[in-house]
Amino acid sequence: MSAVNEPLTQFERNARVVLEQSLSRIDGRTRSRLNQARQAALEAAGARRPAWWRSLTLMPTVGAAAAALLVAVVLWHRQPAGEPPVLEAQHAEDMDLLADSEALELLDGWDGPFYEWATAQTDNVQSDG
Amino acid sequence: MPAARHGDVDLTDPEAQTRSRALNQFLAGVELKAFKIAQAALRHEDDALDAVQDAMLQLARAYADRPAQEWKPLFYRILENRIRDMQRRRTVRGRVIAWLPFRGDEDDEEPDPIAQAPSPEPQPPRRLELEQAVGALEKALGELPRRQQQAFLLRTLEGLDVAQTAAAMGCSQGSVKTHYFRALQRLRAQLGEFYV
Repeated sequence: MSAVNEPLTQFERNARVVLEQSLSRIDGRTRSRLNQARQAALEAAGARRPAWWRSLTLMPTVGAAAAALLVAVVLWHRQPAGEPPVLEAQHAEDMDLLADSEALELLDGWDGPFYEWATAQTDNVQSDG
Repeated sequence: MPAARHGDVDLTDPEAQTRSRALNQFLAGVELKAFKIAQAALRHEDDALDAVQDAMLQLARAYADRPAQEWKPLFYRILENRIRDMQRRRTVRGRVIAWLPFRGDEDDEEPDPIAQAPSPEPQPPRRLELEQAVGALEKALGELPRRQQQAFLLRTLEGLDVAQTAAAMGCSQGSVKTHYFRALQRLRAQLGEFYV
């Protein structure tokens, strides 16, 4: 036998001639379909954008991701370590309380035991009646 | 004004034109041999055409930007994978059909009498000899194990070297040599030190 990269033996040369002959027997319909397949493949290759174009189309995605990362980093560094985050809703509640002076007075004069006694009295009157 | 385009190749881009021409030339050079290789493996003309078409498309889509000298082993590797997929699918389909109570033969069509008619032109003896040799070799090739058949066709018909054949077959160079050697032994035993 001939090693695969050595010169071909007579048998192999003959086989090649015969195989090439078999190619010439391929009919017109098959050749036409192969030609169509080739044209379709060339179209598909043409439809691909060059590498620089493909990287350009990725720019918005990459930009958005970078912006999101930047915002996250900035917020992280603005937040002092160890202090619990303050919610926006809490801020709003505090502002309402400070703006309402009557509510503050009521809070200062809070008399819990009196209100509990008054409620008990009302309940007693209703049960007696 | 938009750039002139043909297919999707930018006609104003000389590099794209050159690449498209090179790819066309490459595919035109391999298509008949690839079809023959696929046909020997699948033993079905339409399946072989589908396999070659898929391989062409995949090469064009995924590897058109690669250097042209890499195309051949890549193309035959893709083709080989496609052939293997089709053979697996066919095996599964065969098993399913075997369970069905009634099965019609899809290929059981009336032969075209015109296509079957012998050519009225007398064939010269040399041509006749070659025709017979083609028939004998194709039959013997069809009886080879798949890997031996593939190694023999890639080497003898396509002219790939050991490294390229190994890349196309997805195995080591040692395996290529073994498959090829066994293929030669079997073909010699069947055909004798032959003809032409």
